[in-house]
Amino acid sequence: MTRGTLIYIIQRLLLITFTAVAISSIVFIGEHALLPGDAFVSERPHNPRELALLLHHFNLDLPLPQQYQLWVTGVLHGDLGESLVNRGVQITPLLVRELGTSLELGAAALIFTVGVGLTLGLFAALKQNTWVDYVASSTAVVGYSMPSFVIATLLVLVTGKLFYIWTNGAFYYEIGWGKPTQILVPAIALGFPYASIVARLTRASMLEVIRQDYVRTAWAKGLQPRIVIIRHALRNALIPVITILGPLATGILTGVVVIENIFGIPGLGKEFIDSILNRDYNIVIGVFTFYAALVGLVNLGVDLLYPVLDPRIRY
Amino acid sequence: MATLPGAALPEEYVSDVYEMPEQVTLWQDAWRRVRRNKLALAGTTIIAILVLMAVVSVFWTPYPVWKQAVGPTYAGISAQHWLGLDASGRDIFSRIMGGALISLQVGVGTMLIVSAIGIMMGLLAGFYRGALDAAISLAINIWYGIPDLLVVILLVLLFGRSLGNIAFAIAITRWMDMARLVRGQTFALREREFVEAARSTGTRNLVIIFRHIFPNALGPILVQATYAVPQAILFEAFLSYLGLGVPPPTPSWGAMAADGFHALELAPHIVLAPAIALSLTLMAFNFVGDGLRDALDPRMRR
Repeated sequence: MTRGTLIYIIQRLLLITFTAVAISSIVFIGEHALLPGDAFVSERPHNPRELALLLHHFNLDLPLPQQYQLWVTGVLHGDLGESLVNRGVQITPLLVRELGTSLELGAAALIFTVGVGLTLGLFAALKQNTWVDYVASSTAVVGYSMPSFVIATLLVLVTGKLFYIWTNGAFYYEIGWGKPTQILVPAIALGFPYASIVARLTRASMLEVIRQDYVRTAWAKGLQPRIVIIRHALRNALIPVITILGPLATGILTGVVVIENIFGIPGLGKEFIDSILNRDYNIVIGVFTFYAALVGLVNLGVDLLYPVLDPRIRY
Repeated sequence: MATLPGAALPEEYVSDVYEMPEQVTLWQDAWRRVRRNKLALAGTTIIAILVLMAVVSVFWTPYPVWKQAVGPTYAGISAQHWLGLDASGRDIFSRIMGGALISLQVGVGTMLIVSAIGIMMGLLAGFYRGALDAAISLAINIWYGIPDLLVVILLVLLFGRSLGNIAFAIAITRWMDMARLVRGQTFALREREFVEAARSTGTRNLVIIFRHIFPNALGPILVQATYAVPQAILFEAFLSYLGLGVPPPTPSWGAMAADGFHALELAPHIVLAPAIALSLTLMAFNFVGDGLRDALDPRMRR
């Protein structure tokens, strides 16, 4: 790693910290300015003394600038405060634990997306205008137009109803998290629309690359087909695909919100919706902080991947 | 072929049988190409049916969309109920019609707001360049890093779950694609001769932007706007699937699919009907978008 890369990484990390604090500040101010004290409205009526104690406990009795100052100090020390609904639950460790689950699901979906997308696109390009191409291309078009929850529904229907007896229940989806088979169906549902995008891109750029002179040279000098296609053609065809990896990873991370709620997976996305419905605003702000940092870090990771795959890029 | 005035052609070159080739504008040419594109035509047909269903649903649906127990709950497809009945005994076909109205309103509404914001930002950044461009470009790049679905959910929570708020919330997180496109187009167009000519005659900047640059960028804008519709419909479906969309009893495809998910094994038609309707709609808009892109700019064809 050169010194320039190091400086670049440090700059980006500072920017990510700034963005995360800025985004969650906007959320903090938005919630406190637009929904003052709303968190306790839905509960059974308190006597005034109790409510005052409660508000004092969460610093909600202080003026807004002071609340904000206390909160920012906390965030910069990695403390996101305490849950408004489940008293005594510290938010940072809770979200760190849930982040692990979401990352596992997201990583599985990303592997599926890239793996299936590349394979579909590659074969569609190599067998252009044959049935292989038509099947792969139309799968991609259909997949692109199906929301993840539709794919999830179909997968559950197929694995749980049609093929249940045939597969002896091996893929039957039980709501929950922890078993290896339980990651498969949500990851496919989450990754499929994005796999379609990757497939379309791979096909287009592969078609362009395999007509280039240097590929013809590789064929002409008698290299094995495997080596021509993988080492010469695919490597260059990958460049446009890599450029969408950032938006792709961001999309998968936000898609986690929907998928986790369908399958009852205890991750960040489920926590977000639950805490919104429970009016647990401290957690909502916390999830935003985590997401902003996560999206930034993932995009940084993708950017650091570019020079590895395309040596022309330098930072 | 127009002859130059004053440069008379020798007699033998002038023929009476010579006909002017048919004059075709860009839009006529594009329309011809779209008509030849079977997928785009299929998409247009689906959208037309959808619009028809949505408009009719305002005045009439086979059963009121909110009315429960119009027949046995979970009943399957039958002659009286084309798509069966849901868990509360509501007619699914009527609700699909009502849902089409919601989806189209959110889709088109968001598209209009996205276009308004994106075109404005793009034209300003591309035309004035400099500090303004730097600021708008920075905003675009920061916005791309924001988890859009979460922001939409938060905005809807803060400002209320009405149709207009949902459209506005989606537009606020999705304007960047349009802005970036228009900015790029403006960048290229502002260097063209006709802009220079307009400037040389003392045309004001705003007139150059809206009368000379904007109309010439209309093709790509139209394509981008078409793609914005399915994106917004998808977001609205996600929102209502999570129970954060337009409040019931207003029918929304996402909410209908979520309701049906619980009875998936008993009555799969409840979830399949809105799921298929939604997928067909998204596919139709994507096909039309692809068709328009190919028709308006044949070089971009992939």
